Amino acid sequence: MLSGVYQGETLPPVVRHITQEKINLYAEASGDFNPIHIDESFATQTPLGGTIAHGMLILAYVSEMMAQAFGQNWAANGRLSVRFKTPARPGDTVTATGKIDSIRKEDGISYVDCSLECHNQKDEVIVTGGAMVKLPYNLGETRDPR
Amino acid sequence: MPVSYEELAIGYEFPPTSYELSPSLISKYLKAVDSAGDAFVPPLAIAARAMTGLTGVLSLPPGTIHASQDFEFYKLVPSAAVVNCQAKVVRKVSRGGMRMLVLELNVFDRSEEMVQSGKATIILPS
Repeated sequence: MLSGVYQGETLPPVVRHITQEKINLYAEASGDFNPIHIDESFATQTPLGGTIAHGMLILAYVSEMMAQAFGQNWAANGRLSVRFKTPARPGDTVTATGKIDSIRKEDGISYVDCSLECHNQKDEVIVTGGAMVKLPYNLGETRDPR
Repeated sequence: MPVSYEELAIGYEFPPTSYELSPSLISKYLKAVDSAGDAFVPPLAIAARAMTGLTGVLSLPPGTIHASQDFEFYKLVPSAAVVNCQAKVVRKVSRGGMRMLVLELNVFDRSEEMVQSGKATIILPS
């Protein structure tokens, strides 16, 4: 969990290395066996030129980052909205990053809005979007005291 | 019999599906996403299962990809819970060589409380 929730605070990033083995594992766990993810000979014949990671696998890293920052409030009161910009491929290192953009307090509830991004080792944006977490208490000072 | 893109209309409701978030399934999911997890089921694990549940009904061509995704999570779900998933087509676009579908998904627990809702935009190869 974050030690303090402040506007402008950067969320601790989540970094994961993508391999074909992990993509295959995700296919088994999710049941999504679309050949664009797991069949190299099929994928090379498509405009994508090779296999790509499931979009939901990349979102799992975003969700992990949010859960690490906000604990169970994320799974109980979170909202996520993203667009997939570039596929993640085997060999890529994906970094999920986030920042608290604003905090709104209303009737004993704090609404924390974050901007999110996932990028690869070449700084290409894989996922971009935003998230909101509802914290069931009124945060005190939300400007960074540092 | 799986439904093809051509057969789908806006408002089409997929047959509801139900599945158990078994400890072995969650363990496999956590291994795949490199996560230690906690006492509750990761919300994206529920979403992944809900979306995959559609693939038995919806016949999508190989190469279909995910363009955007929205989710809202409403409640924590314990391991071994059984959830029910409902989905419908909310938008369908076919223009030039592009074919796109927007699907709305709602997941409920056994007490019929909503666990999560979502909207997925997928693009089909031409």
